[in-house]
Amino acid sequence: MADTVLGKHQLERALYEEKKAVSSGRLKEENPLDTSADFRRFCEACRRGDLRVCQEQISKGININSRDEFDYTPLILASLCGHYEVAQMLLEQGALCERDTFQGERCLYNALNDRIRNLLLSYDYSKATDALQPLAAHITSLLTRDSPKTADIAVHTGEATLDLHKFVLSARSPFFAHKLAAAPETTSWRLASNVHPRSFETCIRYLYLGDVGADLGDGEEEQGVLKGIEKMSRQLEIPELFENILHPGDRRQARQRRTEELEKGRDQMARWFQRNVLKHKVEVAREKANDVKWDRDNSIFADVLLRADEEDDEAEEDVSAVQPLEPAERVRRTDGPLNGIPIGPSSQQAARSPSRRRNPKRSVLYPCHRAMLLRSEVFATMFASPFREGQEGKHLHIVPVDCAPDVLEVILTFLYTEKADFSLGLALDVLQAADMLFIEKLKQRAALLISTLGNGSASVVESENPRGETDLEDLINIYDVIRASWDTRVHRLEEFGARYIAYRLERYIDEPQFKELVQESASRIKARQETDTVELIDDIRYYLSDRFRLRFEDTGLDEMMDESNDGAVSATTENGKDSGAKAGHDDEGYSGSPPEAVGDGLAPDLEHLETQGVVRTLDGEIAGDEFAQDAINYQILLGKIERLMENLGLDG
Amino acid sequence: MMATMSRRGGAKIRPPRRGLQGADVDFDTTWPILEGAFKEIHTKNASALSFEELYRNAYKIVLKKKGEELYNKVARFEEQWLGSTVRTEIVRTLTPPLTLTDGAGRTLATSSERRTAGEKFLKSLKHAWEDYQVCMGMLTDVLMYMDRVYCTDHRQPSIFAKSMGLFRDQILRTPVQPASTTLLDVLTRIVLDQIQMDRDGEAIDQFLIKSNVYMLEGLYESDLEVEDEKLYLRFEKVFLDQSANFYRDEGERMLKESDAGSYCRHAKKRIDEENDRCRSTLSESTSAKIQAVVEGELIRHKMKGLIEMENSGVAFMVDNDKFHELSLVFDLEARVDPRKSELTRAMQRLVTEMGTDINNAALTTSEATPQREAAGDDEDGKPAEEGAKQKLPAKPLSQQTVAALKWVEEILRLKDRFDKICTTSFSSDQTVSSAINRSMADVVNTFSRGSEYISLFIDDNMKRGIRDKTEAEIDSTLEKAIMVLRYLSDKDLFETYYKKHLCKRLLLKKSVSIDVEKQMISRMKIELGNSFTLKLEAMFKDMTLSEELSNGFRAHIAGVMDGAHNNSKPVDLSIRVLTSMTWPLEAFRGASGEDRDENSLGGRDITLYPPEIERLKSGFERFYAQKYSGRKLTWYNNMGDADLRARFPRSTRIHDVNCSTYAMLILLLFNDLPAGESLSLEEIEARTNIPRGDLARNLQSLAVAPKTRFLVKEPMSRDINSGDRFKFNDDFKPSFIKIKVGVVSAGNKVENDRERKETEKKNNDSRGFVIEAAVVRIMKQRKQLPHAQLLTETITQLSHQFKPDVNMIKKRIEGLIEREYLERMEDAPVPSYKYLA
Repeated sequence: MADTVLGKHQLERALYEEKKAVSSGRLKEENPLDTSADFRRFCEACRRGDLRVCQEQISKGININSRDEFDYTPLILASLCGHYEVAQMLLEQGALCERDTFQGERCLYNALNDRIRNLLLSYDYSKATDALQPLAAHITSLLTRDSPKTADIAVHTGEATLDLHKFVLSARSPFFAHKLAAAPETTSWRLASNVHPRSFETCIRYLYLGDVGADLGDGEEEQGVLKGIEKMSRQLEIPELFENILHPGDRRQARQRRTEELEKGRDQMARWFQRNVLKHKVEVAREKANDVKWDRDNSIFADVLLRADEEDDEAEEDVSAVQPLEPAERVRRTDGPLNGIPIGPSSQQAARSPSRRRNPKRSVLYPCHRAMLLRSEVFATMFASPFREGQEGKHLHIVPVDCAPDVLEVILTFLYTEKADFSLGLALDVLQAADMLFIEKLKQRAALLISTLGNGSASVVESENPRGETDLEDLINIYDVIRASWDTRVHRLEEFGARYIAYRLERYIDEPQFKELVQESASRIKARQETDTVELIDDIRYYLSDRFRLRFEDTGLDEMMDESNDGAVSATTENGKDSGAKAGHDDEGYSGSPPEAVGDGLAPDLEHLETQGVVRTLDGEIAGDEFAQDAINYQILLGKIERLMENLGLDG
Repeated sequence: MMATMSRRGGAKIRPPRRGLQGADVDFDTTWPILEGAFKEIHTKNASALSFEELYRNAYKIVLKKKGEELYNKVARFEEQWLGSTVRTEIVRTLTPPLTLTDGAGRTLATSSERRTAGEKFLKSLKHAWEDYQVCMGMLTDVLMYMDRVYCTDHRQPSIFAKSMGLFRDQILRTPVQPASTTLLDVLTRIVLDQIQMDRDGEAIDQFLIKSNVYMLEGLYESDLEVEDEKLYLRFEKVFLDQSANFYRDEGERMLKESDAGSYCRHAKKRIDEENDRCRSTLSESTSAKIQAVVEGELIRHKMKGLIEMENSGVAFMVDNDKFHELSLVFDLEARVDPRKSELTRAMQRLVTEMGTDINNAALTTSEATPQREAAGDDEDGKPAEEGAKQKLPAKPLSQQTVAALKWVEEILRLKDRFDKICTTSFSSDQTVSSAINRSMADVVNTFSRGSEYISLFIDDNMKRGIRDKTEAEIDSTLEKAIMVLRYLSDKDLFETYYKKHLCKRLLLKKSVSIDVEKQMISRMKIELGNSFTLKLEAMFKDMTLSEELSNGFRAHIAGVMDGAHNNSKPVDLSIRVLTSMTWPLEAFRGASGEDRDENSLGGRDITLYPPEIERLKSGFERFYAQKYSGRKLTWYNNMGDADLRARFPRSTRIHDVNCSTYAMLILLLFNDLPAGESLSLEEIEARTNIPRGDLARNLQSLAVAPKTRFLVKEPMSRDINSGDRFKFNDDFKPSFIKIKVGVVSAGNKVENDRERKETEKKNNDSRGFVIEAAVVRIMKQRKQLPHAQLLTETITQLSHQFKPDVNMIKKRIEGLIEREYLERMEDAPVPSYKYLA
């Protein structure tokens, strides 16, 4: 594939052909028209580069690949307007930019600069993978994976035998679901004997979400194989397989079909997961948890029990995390359930109701399949090791997982279905647990969830209620977040934390916890011996200048200080705040809310500062001029940081 | 979903479950659990342990920033474990047979004692290593989080690498006793000892050594684990040194004690053995290196001596057709030298030696010839010679021809022989066979009569050799000739000879089969190119044209006869019109060369003919002039022959006499002479104008040879001298109806020295023209060219014809400059020429 960008006439021709293909039904419309208000907001955010709003809209479930009435897709808008981060985020979330398609080429054609163009090229579909591909690849790899042994049924046809997994068969093939439900203890199954081994293999690969290749031999052999596939797909009740094989199309069609197939397969797995794994979880008193005996031959083919202990009530009260938490124990002994946060629609009730009894020290056991747990490197090592967990016993092993049941459920859901929709409330726990279990992708999702919560200058709440009093601080404890980011080594979250604090520095600067945090950051740096500066403070300084910069840039410092002009300027600024499009403020995504936040937040500080006598000129007159106020505030905050550092005896 | 919740305002981000501030550390309670578990692991009691529990504990420690502490504790634990438990276990196996050494460091125990003890040691080391690997694998699994987080962040080697380093330090590098050798040295010594036993033919436990080698391959000199700092390399070096010594000694001993053949066999065996050893006992990576050592010691340094070994070296092998051994030599040589220079040189030397023998033999034969001929001539030359020429179709060949035939055969046999060696023993190796071919070519080319002899060989075959042969045999004969021809570099000289010989064959109708002649030409065409055979083909063309001419003339005469008076005797004329440039006519004059003078050169058509012949001659000239205007015919009477019908007084019948044209002219003189009268030599000469040499030869045939003594000479002697008188022999009584008068004219004989010089001179002259032509061709194309380049280009252009002499080229260039074809370029940085057109 050439890396050159196509010319305009080529694009037009591509559009024509694509339209024809779509209208004739050969091709699915990848960029459907969306004129809803939400989508318009989304597009607007992409134009402005407002990462936060984009994230908000995406989490509302908007189709990221839709187009507006001018045929623009969000990705095109973002790359046209030169918002690298937004484009990257969109691509990460599945926005398409495929060579040889009209929209893809158009996107490349319109990219503002080479940096963005290269980004787009690097996400070309042929290189990027489908979001569900990791799940599919894992399930397919089970067919060839030897260690640890996870297969529990041997399926024969003729001379061919494959060691398979009952839960996969049961989830994917109605035929097997039916048969295995009747006799769950079966360990071997004989299918029709006179089927070409290739057909058998193809069907099984299909069940295991593998890519069913078009290479089925040639001539007579192909006929035989096809006949076999046809026969088996009827027997296993998976007619789509045969249809798919009969209709190979071009690359794009094949890809679309593959995507559909994967989605379907995922949904099947998810359904099966809901109806079996989650439905069969056991709640017991903690001291009895290890006495639960599950036979190897159970109706849902589980081969391991994961145990999660419920949280203490005290922990729940610790939400603000202002104080250091109680010493963690090796095995946590907590009383009672937490005021849980909904996990999933169907399991919600089941999860909640027993805990309502307030029976102290409960544990939840989830019957699981090692085959799926292998997606976590820790589990993979565990089950392959010669330790107790790696051996087969009469009853299923109970493996404790050091997290709350609802968190474990999130993890299991992710491992089985690649779904990672969980509430912000769980995010830190999930982050931590995913880090412990080496589930990198889930970690990233959790980090993404937290970091898009607020874009620094505005919060979810504020964006809806510009002058509202609701504060984000109640929603997250930024200290926890930053510490978690250090512990789990998620850089994106570190940055987020620094930005978050920078935009509310006046709130935090005098808190003792902040001091502790700075100290911790400093000690981290010592251990690494990379640089002499305190990373956190550096980051905060950077974002602080970011926060105040736009005001200085627009007016210039002299003008700002010239108070005779301020009336007109401030009026403009006031207007600009609401429209967000005037007075040159719109090149950045911060639609003007910070002044309020700053103003509000600074009010107590100013008094405080005055009493300290630091800024003698600060009086009511100044409050009327926001630019001067900003400038002075900036200086005040920087000075405070300086003093803090001095107090701590740190450089930088 | 998030936004929804946010709006509700109820959802807060839940603080993480554990306090992460690191204020509390239960390291002191957690570590004992881990330590206990590690002990269990090392004592193979892990099955009851819970991975999850251990992992969780390690995870928490790391999470609480105690990673470093944990790391160091684990390292210390391992160090202790290795240092105390494992090492003692191994040191215990160091039994006296291994430790008892004399002053020189050699052990005093017998080899079987050493072997048993060594194996015991190796076994215990192997077990220690393998166990340790398994245990550390498990430990690493449990400490996964530490590896990923602590080690990565702090740039520490992974705990596995660290512990392998500990194994190296604690087990291998620690002295067995204070101030004594380390276990690594002991291990090296034992392994080498065992390998030596293996070389000496004792069975050893290869697998055991292999396991220990695996260990060395898994360990590095430092904790950085640099790929080319494996411990094994240290062992390998010692091993290679020791092997080099061993094989150097062995090679010298063998060279003294055994013959080349068995040496080769042994060397081959050793190489294979070492190869196998690397696979089965040591590491594959050593294979190439030890190979190089053995090759170096057993072959490279010994090859020359081996090849030149008296009574068993390569010469001996070739002499005795030891193909297998030759192939061994070849194999060995090929290992150390892709160009096989030693063997090649030896083979070339052999070829040259044998070829020179053949050349010398041929020279001796040909030099012996004139003496014996002279001797024959002195005693009873006449009968022998004439009998030879007249009676026997397969006349005995002249010694020169015999020499030529023998030479060609010998050369071919030599070639066959070496070809066979090449294919059977040297697997048709390109380098060697081309070197041999080069030597063959040298042999052929150093022989000064090569070109002539080859041509003679063909000539002889054309005249007699192929008479009773099948097509296939003829084919192979021709092929042989071509094969030798291929070696020849002076192709132009050969062409000269071949033309001469062919000319005689054609004109004297000596050739057995014109078809075969043509075949030969076409083969040469394939081999030497179109231009080479151009003239030869033209000769054939002339032959056919002449045939047509003669027929045409005959028809013409018949027409004239019919119309005109019919009283003259019909004289039949058969004519060969030869294009002067294509035919080497001087060859014929050369045959009568000794008394050739201006007379015979300038007076070709001054021969006086009797009227009827004269009429015929001028008739043909007119006829020819009609057909081809502007061409000049020159008559070569000395090459013609004539059929006469004669009556002899003592015979009643009419005899057919076949004689040369000159003989006819002489006989016709006596036709008109009254009986009893005689003519003197001078008279005959005056009346016929036949050159003296030809005249004398013809008179000799007519008056001396007994079978055709039509004339009587006065005085009776063998030689013809001036003043001799001749008269018709009335007493001649022919015994056959057909009489052939032979002329003492040479067949295709080898030239004598003077002739050869002549030929060469002529050849050089013609080469001069060819060179000039080539130079002009090149310059015309390139316009200007440096001297050196012109020389090379000229040589390349001419290489398929002959190897030009550089001096000659220079001279020719001079000549061209004089004649202003070229000029020197004054301002060129290197001497260059410019083409003037």
